[in-house]
Amino acid sequence: MKRRLAISIGLLSCSMVAFQVALMQILSICQWNHFAYMVISVAMLGFGASGTALAFLKKYMIPKIGTNLAILMIFTSLSIMGILFLSRTVFGGFDSYLVFYEKRHYLNLVFSYIMLFVPFFLGASAIGLAYCYYASDIGRLYFADLAGSGIGGLLMLLLLWHVSPSAVPFVIACLPLAAGLLLFPQGSKTVAEKTGLLTLVLLALVLLVAGLLNPPRLPSSQYKSLPRTLLLPDARVMETINSPYGELKRVSAPALRYAPGLSLSYSGQVPVTEVLFHNGDWLGPLVPMALPEREEAVVLSALPGTPDQEDAPESHDGTETGHYLDYSTQALPYVMGTPGKVFVADAATGLLAGHALSRGVKEIIAVEPNSAVVGMVTGNIDVPGERVSFITGHSRYHVQQADRYDLILLPENGSFGGSSGILALEEQYLFTLDAFSLLWDRLSPGGMIAATLWMDYPPRSTLKLLATMAVTAESKGVENPADHIVAVRSWSTITCVLAKNKVSANNIDKIRAFCHSRQFDPLLYPGIRPEEREVYNMLQDESFFRSTDLLLKGERETLFREYDFQIRPATDSRPYFSQFLKLGRLSKIREVFGSASMPFLEVGYLIVLLTMAQIFLASFLFIVLPLIFRKVPGKGKAGLLVFFSVIGIGYMFAEMVFIQQFTLFFGSPLYAASAVLSAMLFFSGIGSACSQKLVTGSVRLRLVAGVIAVLLALLALCLPALMRAAMGSPLPVKVLLCAMVIGPPAFLMGMMFPSAIRAIRQVSDGSLIPWAWAVNGSFSVISTALAAVISVEAGYQTVMLVAVAAYLLAGISTRFRLFSIFVK
Amino acid sequence: MARILKYVLTVLLLAEALPVLFATVTGSGEQDFARMRSVMVRDQIVARGVTHRATLQAMRTVERHLFVEPSLRSRAYDDNPLPIGYGQTISQPFIVAYMTSLLGLRPEHRVLEIGTGSGYQAAILSRIVDSVYTMEIVRELAASAKKRLQDLGYHNVEVVPGDGYYGLPGKAPFHAIVVTAAAEHIPPPLIEQLDEGGKMIIPVGSQFMVQNLILVEKKKGRITTTNLMPVRFVPFTREEKR
Repeated sequence: MKRRLAISIGLLSCSMVAFQVALMQILSICQWNHFAYMVISVAMLGFGASGTALAFLKKYMIPKIGTNLAILMIFTSLSIMGILFLSRTVFGGFDSYLVFYEKRHYLNLVFSYIMLFVPFFLGASAIGLAYCYYASDIGRLYFADLAGSGIGGLLMLLLLWHVSPSAVPFVIACLPLAAGLLLFPQGSKTVAEKTGLLTLVLLALVLLVAGLLNPPRLPSSQYKSLPRTLLLPDARVMETINSPYGELKRVSAPALRYAPGLSLSYSGQVPVTEVLFHNGDWLGPLVPMALPEREEAVVLSALPGTPDQEDAPESHDGTETGHYLDYSTQALPYVMGTPGKVFVADAATGLLAGHALSRGVKEIIAVEPNSAVVGMVTGNIDVPGERVSFITGHSRYHVQQADRYDLILLPENGSFGGSSGILALEEQYLFTLDAFSLLWDRLSPGGMIAATLWMDYPPRSTLKLLATMAVTAESKGVENPADHIVAVRSWSTITCVLAKNKVSANNIDKIRAFCHSRQFDPLLYPGIRPEEREVYNMLQDESFFRSTDLLLKGERETLFREYDFQIRPATDSRPYFSQFLKLGRLSKIREVFGSASMPFLEVGYLIVLLTMAQIFLASFLFIVLPLIFRKVPGKGKAGLLVFFSVIGIGYMFAEMVFIQQFTLFFGSPLYAASAVLSAMLFFSGIGSACSQKLVTGSVRLRLVAGVIAVLLALLALCLPALMRAAMGSPLPVKVLLCAMVIGPPAFLMGMMFPSAIRAIRQVSDGSLIPWAWAVNGSFSVISTALAAVISVEAGYQTVMLVAVAAYLLAGISTRFRLFSIFVK
Repeated sequence: MARILKYVLTVLLLAEALPVLFATVTGSGEQDFARMRSVMVRDQIVARGVTHRATLQAMRTVERHLFVEPSLRSRAYDDNPLPIGYGQTISQPFIVAYMTSLLGLRPEHRVLEIGTGSGYQAAILSRIVDSVYTMEIVRELAASAKKRLQDLGYHNVEVVPGDGYYGLPGKAPFHAIVVTAAAEHIPPPLIEQLDEGGKMIIPVGSQFMVQNLILVEKKKGRITTTNLMPVRFVPFTREEKR
């Protein structure tokens, strides 16, 4: 029985983690981002609430423990499937875009939260019940729990390549069903019990078959790009690829055209193209790549200082090639020179690579982290391999592989009309100071970095990008960044260029001519006059220009401090380029824009805060409050409270930091979440299995806590450097490295919980165990959202330092009386 | 005594209920909407500086609540956009009025709208000018807007289902073009179809919040844009502090 129980627990735990990862994927498709913190917190809430429930119900459930365990596991399977059959309500009932706009959506979000909580509550109740009854075997069971959890994350990486996101939960549901069936013969004693269980199993099997054969369609917010595009006449989905990177769709429609910020002087045709969508969001158009018709046509403005500059044919700007992007601000870098070697970071559908090709660039390296995108692009448009290398990989790694680049192109940032701040918590590792520093070092002597943004109002993204460029230049020894930065503005886009050399007078003339012919306005170049900034595209006030000038005049810190939005450059520790909200300025924003409109400025971060409040409330209601009314037996509970709460905080904070750091490493949040969850849970499981032999007293427990704190502190300092060094390794090596880095602290962290549980058993009859489980669960729940908020405000290093402090406090709390009784 | 009290109470209740019932039957709800509309114009539009008389008159007369779902009618005159399905909204009343007033319309003008949506903007325009052409690419929206406008008597609005990219060359030039359909570029044919001295207005922002308006003007063959903010946000800067 014990062996079967251990296997059941393993299967159940595997399903719990796998379902978390599946939910992240589903929420990315249906809503606006992966809501990772919300999913993990729902799971933790389930675990915590189960502890509370067990505190009250344990005595009723223990007598028929076998049957009850089987029932709980089968119901876990049923609830997972039930959520998918109710997907319209659970995933589509609320629109995160409208949560602050209509009460209905907020209430539906709460409802969805409760629904998602159910399978985790049921599964955790089964695990918790097993722990309560078989506490003497806690080491083996905890090992099975965590080992199963570890496998769950890796299982998802495999499944998501082969099974659609809507069908994956049904595959996962097989695991708790199998877990319940394993205990079935032991559990059933009476005919009624057998009949009941059999009915449940049959129901589960019917739903399983129905779900696998005809998975429910996942609803998607009507405000996402894909649903709106599919409303166009004759719009069709031509191809779908699922992967751990997400759901990729290729869509065709006769009305699909894309020409960001096209010049009003353009009189040509904007081609109709197919478009790729990633998780329902616009990724980019599939524009055919073509070599220039005549090579000499594009050699019109050579790089400054090169011999053929004087031989260039006369042209008022030198950018006509027939590619429509020549009539966008994105042509700016080619006005300033003809680069020989171009790197396109996060190339997506290759639009910028195609434009570079049309400009006659001889060597183009286009890197895209999503292999499914690369496959879809190369499978549908001809990529001239002799000039363009379109490859899967990590941009920050690949940019270091070649000697130097004349031009590095960053992906377009933002979207037309803004994203309402929905991307506030999306890590953008190409737009951090660390990234720009790296890119600068990869430039040839006359090289440039270029980025195009959609203009936003109030101005935020442009100021942040210019600040990033200015700070980067200064850090590289540039005395006056204003001599190295050029920016040009259309009615909707701004392209900014950071040049390694000072911008020459010749280039300034070319930029003026370009702007005149395209009806753009220069925003920045050395010596720009105020009247030059508004010739074709007038702004209503000058504050934007004033702020831009302050950024480059060295009064940057004042502007960062006093501007009403967060425009300080992002760093790898706080990689949230699109997060602009300053909490202290909320009231001013509300006053100006009104309560109804204000959320649409920065809804992404506001949702995090809302969810955190929700989580606090839920954990208090479901976990803490019931236990307040119940007399908790035993003495020395303060030490217990502190211990179990801080190890909950420390564990989750460390986990969230690892997920964030490894997102940069793997290039995908889902890969990172899967790898980190698996590694942490697996090694914690091994630690728990070894804890009985290794942790034999409070002194050793204190030592373990201290070593954990030291290891986490070391990782906080060294991990970024370590990952930079190994960035380009193949995926299996990366997974192995992840395991090696996380393994040691996770192993030790896994010892803490079961060791303390054994201590409790020695001083009580086990009635404190549900309390401990509940407290630990409660603080784990709160920690997920809290970690997200702290990381935005203070960076991930701060989050890790809090984890360090938590384990130090755990070590100190072992001095309490409860643990003094903890002996061999 | 108790019986008398019961009779008195019944009479009093009926005395209260009957007028309410009467008012409901005779459509006092419509008076409520008219009042709400009047308050909307006063508090949301005039108070924010829109003075174009024809626009204000149009906002007072066009029954906005008939352009939204019945379940949302009580909110039709709120200071917000409202969803109309298909990922679209009916714009905030102030934005509609502001955009209309910026165009400087006169009765003889011909106006093109790209993105009919609910048809409300087209209805407003139709109260100012003689002819309005409005294009909607989503067939279902085009059909429902067309029916609604016809039923409500807006006979000088022609709803044209189809892709607005190419405009309506057969009806060009237009004195004003309103582009409410989100488009990250302005189609060249629309620029061509804008009359000399004409204006084009493009709201930029999300469905639920217009960040700014782009006013495109064509004067002596030259095209210029002006970025207008319906809501001015003045960030704090050191120079302003001085």
